[in-house]
Amino acid sequence: MSTTAVETELSYEERLRLLRGMKLAQTREKQRIRGTMDFDDHGIILPPEDLRETVKTISGSGVHFTDVILKNFRPRPNHQNGGYYGPAACGRNFRSLLEVHPAYIDPMSSLAGAYMVNFMSYRRAHWKPEFDREELMAQHERYHIVPAIGAVQHLCQDLAIGLRLGWGGLLEKVRHFRAINVAAAEFYEGLEQVVLGTQDWIRRHAREARRKAQEHGPMAQNLLEIAEINEHLISGAPRTFREACQWILWDLLISRMYNGSGALGRADVLLEPYYRADVGAGRLTDEEAVFHIACMLLRDTPYFQLGGPDASGRDVTGSVSFLVLEAAHRLRTPVNVGVCVGEGVDEGLLRRGVEMLVEDRCGTPKFLGVDNTIRGFVRNGFSVELARERAYSGCQWSALPGREYAIQDIIKINLAKVLDVALREMLADGDVRPCVAELWDRFERHLGEAVAITAAGIDFQYEHMHEVFPELPLDLLCHGPIERGLDASHGGVEYYTFGVDGAGLATTADSFASIEERVEKEGRVSWAQLLEGLESNWAGPEGERVRRLMGGAAKYGAGGTTGDEWAKRIAGAFTREVKEKRTPNGHMMLPGLFSWALAVLMGKKLGATPNGRRAGEPISHGANPNPGCRKDGAPTAIAVAVAEVQPGYGNTAPLQLDLDPCTQNSAQDIVNVMGLIRGHFDLGGTQINANIVDREQILEASEDPGRFPELVVRVTGFSAYFSSLSPELRRFVVDRVICEKGAGA
Amino acid sequence: MTGRVFDIQRFSVHDGPGIRTTVFLKGCPLNCAWCHNPEGIRAGPELSFDREKCLACGECVRACPMAAHSLQTDGKGLAHVLDRGRCEVRGECVSVCCSDSLEIVGRSLSVEEVMREVMADRVFYRQAGGGLTISGGEPLMQAEFTAALLVAAKKEGLHCCVETSGFGGWEALCRMLPLTDLFLFDWKVTEPVEHERHTGQSNTIIARNLRELYARGARIRLQCPLIPGINDNEGHYEGIEALLESMPNLDGISILPYHPLGTAKLERLGRPPAFAASTTSAIRQSARFLAGRLARRGFRVVGTEGDRQEGGQRRAEDGVPRREGIKSDF
Ligand code: SF4
Ligand code: SF4
Repeated sequence: MSTTAVETELSYEERLRLLRGMKLAQTREKQRIRGTMDFDDHGIILPPEDLRETVKTISGSGVHFTDVILKNFRPRPNHQNGGYYGPAACGRNFRSLLEVHPAYIDPMSSLAGAYMVNFMSYRRAHWKPEFDREELMAQHERYHIVPAIGAVQHLCQDLAIGLRLGWGGLLEKVRHFRAINVAAAEFYEGLEQVVLGTQDWIRRHAREARRKAQEHGPMAQNLLEIAEINEHLISGAPRTFREACQWILWDLLISRMYNGSGALGRADVLLEPYYRADVGAGRLTDEEAVFHIACMLLRDTPYFQLGGPDASGRDVTGSVSFLVLEAAHRLRTPVNVGVCVGEGVDEGLLRRGVEMLVEDRCGTPKFLGVDNTIRGFVRNGFSVELARERAYSGCQWSALPGREYAIQDIIKINLAKVLDVALREMLADGDVRPCVAELWDRFERHLGEAVAITAAGIDFQYEHMHEVFPELPLDLLCHGPIERGLDASHGGVEYYTFGVDGAGLATTADSFASIEERVEKEGRVSWAQLLEGLESNWAGPEGERVRRLMGGAAKYGAGGTTGDEWAKRIAGAFTREVKEKRTPNGHMMLPGLFSWALAVLMGKKLGATPNGRRAGEPISHGANPNPGCRKDGAPTAIAVAVAEVQPGYGNTAPLQLDLDPCTQNSAQDIVNVMGLIRGHFDLGGTQINANIVDREQILEASEDPGRFPELVVRVTGFSAYFSSLSPELRRFVVDRVICEKGAGA
Repeated sequence: MTGRVFDIQRFSVHDGPGIRTTVFLKGCPLNCAWCHNPEGIRAGPELSFDREKCLACGECVRACPMAAHSLQTDGKGLAHVLDRGRCEVRGECVSVCCSDSLEIVGRSLSVEEVMREVMADRVFYRQAGGGLTISGGEPLMQAEFTAALLVAAKKEGLHCCVETSGFGGWEALCRMLPLTDLFLFDWKVTEPVEHERHTGQSNTIIARNLRELYARGARIRLQCPLIPGINDNEGHYEGIEALLESMPNLDGISILPYHPLGTAKLERLGRPPAFAASTTSAIRQSARFLAGRLARRGFRVVGTEGDRQEGGQRRAEDGVPRREGIKSDF
């Protein structure tokens, strides 16, 4: 499975070309075997053919999909249901998996390693039956809430710990505290197994590199270097830039394989000292640094932040920040870096980011309105220094590296379902005359209930998850879990600030607006007609007429309309409900507005909604207005709208922008897109995920995705190969693009 | 003070530098066959009917006092028929239509109403160096309103463009002169007789206005629509070159290849298609050719697809505010 040997000495450029080609071939093979993948591409590759076994499973973000696992590994159960639970069992099984996981060396790459399986896919019985969650889950289901229960990762580790200690140092640390904290032996056993498994895996890679060095004439030197680096990294801390990249890659591969984590935080800051030292000593050129970063990003698609203020408020943008962008630019594969935009942050970073967005058309990078997220986090009562430390680490979220457990981007309340419950309840109540005011009262009450259920779910997760499937690899790089002997999900870290997202804002706001305008004010649709439409899914010509009428009301995003007012009101009520309450056990919850790609799945199980949406169609995406909310589709109007619904407590309500590239010239494009980004943040925005897509190309690609294997789109907080997405998610992206006319009229 | 407006487009990036809002005024003294905004030609409001969206529900039939709408059976079932001869364009039918098929094009809006929409994007004008563009139709036909709008925009410190065919009274143009940062001035056909044949008017007044404006130091960018079979010929190209040579201080020139956007709009307004070019790729090529030729002769070509063709290099100086410009606003 490695790139073919070539006779002569190859340039970095040539090697990267070969590596990219290899990646594309691997992606195509993945698509063929695994089918569609509605989440990050990650860097996962398929196991060798004779070791493949296909299973149905569920991703770390809760998406069901077909996965391929290694045949030569079977986890050892420690429960009669065939599952394995708790830190020791999870750690031991993970180590066993690593022991049979093939080593992967591509002679073209400067780094070793790739991962072939998701450990999660071996978990058949996900929940431990002793902790009865049935009733709580049923309550969540009532409002289509994606619960905290069972959530994994979605916290940010502090890589600095690992880079300082190395695997050997980590092992020592675990053993040190294991001896002190004997009651937590099970937990330490799990941690130790993970480290030992990792070290063994690295050792086998070093051996494999040495073996390959004898076969590969032209790349032998590179392979020997890989062997030496990894012999050192089995125990030692990285000493050079290349070693640091390799170390981070190992950590990424391990944590990604274990439970899907890809949160790096401030990788540019961490790499900067290695870069400076190596360049100073004449050991490293920029060309080499870019190559090493690219080799790392080829093997996984981590989330990390570039630039932004440190605790003292000083911008940390450095050479590595730009080198990372350069690597992403040369790769043109899905990459998930976020560029900080804010007062005092290097303007060049934004400019270069926008240039890439316009030129590469890969939806990379995304843009972070750090001034507003910092200000927001402070409003929770935290210090500004702490707020500045929060680092971008996932689709739409930040966290304090190694110090905060928030299972960001997991918990979602479908606001449109809350409305649905409230509406049906009101219409079934013979004692009230239906009206919008009454509906709103009931909506607020049900929203309160939904938040209360969510909160109970959070406590349940905190109580039990550590005995089900603890974080382990992430625990190793957090402040506290090793010292305290507690999993990050269960008191190991300092801050518990559970992120709770509202989903379907525009669907809900437009529904309220339609009801107010069409039913209450104009009387053109009766409550009975509305209900009939919802129940029959707008059947028949009369149903279609009512649907169009309801769908034609003034929408959120059009600017100054009833829909805009409702969106603000709903976002405000949601923010209040989440912020004012704590969970019964006293944990803080932070509001955000985001649906992730779950907009499609959440829509699938939701009936018709009063805004004219048909049953099963996606709900609105994140905090965005519905596509087509304005005739001119002006992105500025959408940017204004999304800025106005920000919850404002440090978690985001991202703006998704899909822009057409055909403005007058690229210099103009860049200035305009920069203006759009800065303008949105001036108005209070927190994050922008953007695509520059050619409408014609995406339409063609949606008909025949195979013809565009290299087309990368930012689906939502993540980017992916368009051709890897399911038809539903492709449609979702295409609908957005063709409705939001964007830059080209 | 009110004006007849048929559209307000935010995030308008073709009508001058930066992010802009373009206000389209209704009514134009010319009648170019290729017009891509045909709803801007007539001064009065018009009823637009989109057959694609119509559900043939019959609500409009009941609502119309003039019996302009009817439902008739054709081969496939009920079809909607609109007799425009009876329509008085008061729009009773529009408010009952469930499907957005019907729309009155052209509203009477006050300066304040227009400015409210324009100012919604002020933060983006500041960040990307944009502002207001008044287009049409023909702004000169609503000179009072245009001037009032420009005064209001200038009060807010906005960068202002006026997009004009140049056909109108000199006084009107003269009033706009001190209020306009950049004129986007059309140059459609060089030969006066040909101009009259294709647009309904000769270009003598236009040429005079252009020269007058230029003489008074106005910032002017020429806009040359390139229409297949009409002006994509050597004579016109040479005419453009002569014009550019005689006005060395022009802000630049844009070549705008024909785009068949107007055809669908015409159909919705119940007017026969006036011009049809089946493909646009050839004319886009001609536009690139012309842009390249002008650029090689040292003229400043702005915002044409030709830009990308010329080696694809970026031209930061093309009317685009530079980084310092953005920073200073911080
Ligand atoms: S605008 Fe008035 S007259 Fe014309 S079709 Fe509609 S209702 Fe009839
Ligand atoms: S009211 Fe609208 S949808 Fe119904 S027949 Fe008239 S134009 Fe068609």
